[in-house]
Amino acid sequence: MLHIKPILSSLMRSKSAPILLLLQIILSVAIVANASFIINERLSLMQRESGYAEDQILTFSVYNFDPAIDNIKQNEVDQLILRALPNVIDASYSNMLPLSGSGWMDRWVDSPNEDTAKSTPGFAFYLGNEHLLNVMGAKLIAGRNFSADEINTNLGDSGMLALVSQPLAKAFWGDESPLGKTMYQGDQTVTVVGVVDKLQGAWIDHENFEYSVIQNIDFGGSSSNKTYMVRALPEHIPALEEAIRKALNAENPNRVLDNFQTLTELKSLTYSNHRLMATVLSIMVVLLLLITALGLTGMVMFNIQRRTKQIGTRRALGANKRDIIQYFMVENYLICIVGGVIGGMLALVLGQQLMSLYSLPMVPMIYPIISVIGLLIVTTLAVIVPAAKAANISPAMATRSV
Amino acid sequence: MSTEFELTVFTSTVLLLSAINTEVLQPIKLRKASMLSMKNISKVFKTDLVETHALRDFNLEVQEGEFVAVTGPSGSGKTTFLNIAGLLEGFTSGEFSLDGVNVSNLSDNNSAKVRNEKIGFIFQGFNLIPDLNLAENVEVPLRYRGMKASERKRRVESALEQVGLGARMKHLPTQLSGGQQQRVAIARALAGEPRFLLADEPTGNLDSLMARQVMELLENINQQGTTIIMVTHDPELARRAQRNIQIVDGQVCDFSMYQQAATGTR
Amino acid sequence: MFFYYCDLAWRSIRKTPMLSMLMVLAISIGIGITITTLNVYKTMSYNPAGDRSEVINSVQLWSQGLDTWDDFISNITYMDAMNLRNNTELGLKAATYRTGLAMQSDNLKIEPVLQGVRVTDRDFFRIFSVPFVYGSYWDASVDLRPAYQVVISQKLNLRFFEGKNSVGKTVFLDRKPYQIVGVIDDWNPQPKYYDPLNGAFNDAEEIFIPFSLTGQEEFDVWGNTSGWKFEPMLTYNDRLTSEKVWIQFWTELNSEDEKQSLQGWLTRYVEQQRTIGRFTDTAKIPAEAVQISDIDKWLEDNDVVPKDNKILVGLSLLFLSVCLVNILGLLLTKFLKRAPEVGVRRAIGASREQIFSQYMVEVGMIGFIGGVVGLLWAWGSLTALHSYFAMEQSVTGLDASMWIITPLIAISTAVLAGVYPAWVVCRTKPSVYLKAQ
Repeated sequence: MLHIKPILSSLMRSKSAPILLLLQIILSVAIVANASFIINERLSLMQRESGYAEDQILTFSVYNFDPAIDNIKQNEVDQLILRALPNVIDASYSNMLPLSGSGWMDRWVDSPNEDTAKSTPGFAFYLGNEHLLNVMGAKLIAGRNFSADEINTNLGDSGMLALVSQPLAKAFWGDESPLGKTMYQGDQTVTVVGVVDKLQGAWIDHENFEYSVIQNIDFGGSSSNKTYMVRALPEHIPALEEAIRKALNAENPNRVLDNFQTLTELKSLTYSNHRLMATVLSIMVVLLLLITALGLTGMVMFNIQRRTKQIGTRRALGANKRDIIQYFMVENYLICIVGGVIGGMLALVLGQQLMSLYSLPMVPMIYPIISVIGLLIVTTLAVIVPAAKAANISPAMATRSV
Repeated sequence: MSTEFELTVFTSTVLLLSAINTEVLQPIKLRKASMLSMKNISKVFKTDLVETHALRDFNLEVQEGEFVAVTGPSGSGKTTFLNIAGLLEGFTSGEFSLDGVNVSNLSDNNSAKVRNEKIGFIFQGFNLIPDLNLAENVEVPLRYRGMKASERKRRVESALEQVGLGARMKHLPTQLSGGQQQRVAIARALAGEPRFLLADEPTGNLDSLMARQVMELLENINQQGTTIIMVTHDPELARRAQRNIQIVDGQVCDFSMYQQAATGTR
Repeated sequence: MFFYYCDLAWRSIRKTPMLSMLMVLAISIGIGITITTLNVYKTMSYNPAGDRSEVINSVQLWSQGLDTWDDFISNITYMDAMNLRNNTELGLKAATYRTGLAMQSDNLKIEPVLQGVRVTDRDFFRIFSVPFVYGSYWDASVDLRPAYQVVISQKLNLRFFEGKNSVGKTVFLDRKPYQIVGVIDDWNPQPKYYDPLNGAFNDAEEIFIPFSLTGQEEFDVWGNTSGWKFEPMLTYNDRLTSEKVWIQFWTELNSEDEKQSLQGWLTRYVEQQRTIGRFTDTAKIPAEAVQISDIDKWLEDNDVVPKDNKILVGLSLLFLSVCLVNILGLLLTKFLKRAPEVGVRRAIGASREQIFSQYMVEVGMIGFIGGVVGLLWAWGSLTALHSYFAMEQSVTGLDASMWIITPLIAISTAVLAGVYPAWVVCRTKPSVYLKAQ
């Protein structure tokens, strides 16, 4: 039998301490609920499948600063050299690096008539040759890849073909197959020849992150500054940078090779803000619970010291140890539950503020609930030790004047 | 000493005495000024249900140099009297002068100042501050008076010497016996060189040997001129005081008057 | 008296070491977290322009078509940049963008370095108060008739010329000879307010070359290029004649009059451009199709302070308030436990103020220790941010203002937490605790 009523009335009489505890729990629930929601959101962002063989891809940039270099030729030669390197599975030029935070974005329309044309959502616009798909490790689920003789070198060329990511196909064509569709970019036509299961773009926070297109243009000859992706087994990657530097510099020393990074590293760097946010908030939640728990323990301990005689009297009057522990636990739960309810509401209000200020999604109800449950567990742990100590107070205390 | 007392009775203050009729029985001393004077003091505690009169029309005059013992059954108003006399509590109506100064309506700050400068307290539970060593305990009232360090040091040393604990200045209260602790408390009360001491059951927590030592110390102090008012329930102790006052139902029964009247002067 | 209180406070703190540690822990962690987020926020929201913030202005134009972009874009087109450069009404003015070039000198022993390069006009140096060690910016004529002249940083000057006056010497950028006209002193404003669009906390460029070279040298653009309509971009000239936006334009406006006159000029410019078929979004009247942003607005519009950081500042302040309530509760229980001692002190003659002061000194001491420890936490966490999350040094260095803000927060937190307990305890009735307990 829980004697809630006397506990409640005793709490009501000693106003300030329970109110402080209540306040602390309210604030804690509000913070923990919002923080854990943001943490969860960020973690799920980071856990998205990218569609790439991340740990097998080494990326780097080349800058040919000698004006005498024929960039188109050099690009071809360099790629042949890269593919011929030992342990290299495949290599390709790419106009942009996946998950890197910078790249090209474009859109198509479905008709040459500007007034009636429907536009696709914006997509990450990859330009590359027939090797790119293999280097990325992306999975073709319908249609075909480009063949070597279909590769263009310029944006204005005719015979444009494209691979689209499944999410983009779904978003624009629904259940219809995009294969064979003709799309328009100004006066230019593009034919969709393949669908790739997953192919993320460069901007991790963009709503169109999953929408991507690869077009059959090896654009590496267009400028002196370009990026390459090389695929090899993870164990071969560390030695690869040196091999690539050697081979390409032997071919032509008038260039700067830079920014060697695996896609894993690139991804980690791009996500570092999210990781930072999740980490900082997690630390905050842990510290908050710790401080709340320690504070509670301290306060209960002091209260027990102050009530030693009272507890002794209770014991003398026949209360057993369990009753004493129960007394403190019930007292704690009463505060926790009231604090939890108010704190939960505050959490939702706070979430709403964050939502309107920073366009964050609304905090779902489940987060305050989980926070309260978490807090109940933590406070139980915090109270049980001093309460057990209190239960050990001798009934003889009642008769002793301290 | 006794001759002085005899001479005090009839002088020009007779005029005053006759003017204030009710106080005729109070012993008035000529050269010894009034130390404590309570006139018609009442103290009422109100709760929602009842009004309790802790003191009612309480009258008391204590002269400088007196050693007064206050006795009375529990609940009689002894503690209330002590709290009011020590300016620890206010009262509902009446007039109260201390050392010739009206202290009826002092602000909290001013009563703290009066307590600090004029009154020394000795409690049954000693009430030493456990974190402070003896010297630091004795020093507390001097600190609040804003005294210079050298002066503080001199006074602390002399007060502790006086109670016979000069060699233990650095000890903590817990390292002492009850009697010693009470002597420290007395030293603390003396260090401020108060006009009078208020002692509340000073020997209540002590065994009889220690109680006697403490009592002798108090008598010594009194003989050096410090007025002492001591609340006790021990008739043995009370008898050692010059004058006995009993409080019954919040009013004074001053036996010493009757004693004096009956036996004449000692 | 103050030292007496300090002594008493220190004894009291030492007497309950666990509780005191708990309080210091709570306050220091609260402060540590707050200072960390506040520090990052402060450095990020710092305006390096200082009192020139309103003088330095950038220009944005609503050159986009109907139903394309919803906001002004920070950059403008090459065509508009050229027209603005030709606006003779303007005082100081500079178009600018970022490129990259490989730099070499005559001394072939020194390896070439690939460097970020700022392509701009001579007024750039004056608008942004760039300090020179040797020489100066190029002549005004260079902005009209391109010349291969360059301003380099002292760091590059050290690397290639051992720090000597290199004005008049030649360096090679992508193998083309450029004549050095000036060497600038260390200059790295953070945030990089003249171009925050690609990393607001990236380092400033160390090579500056004339904007007028753009047409003939066809520099790559190392920055954002945005377009709203399909335009074939087969040649560099396509870029220069396109509606793509990729150039920042800066000017100095010393008064409201100058601003109004630029506003008027721009409005007329939009009207004139409409007659030749540009600025096709007629939903915007010409006066609304132009925007002049001072540095404050520019930094705000370019989201120099990420919203995550604002959320963290808010949450950490809430966190601090939890710590505050926590400490308040602990102090209250601790102080109330000492009520008997207070009773004695009061009886002996301490006034309420004296008791209050005594306890506030104790609270202040806890706050002070908490603040110092909190500063250590903040320093540690900022270091961690720098090393584990690749945050820029400029953001994770402890801002000088934190040396003032930290004690301020620490002490106000402690005072807020301590006032109530100290007040309660100083109201202790002296008589209550004096009877044998």
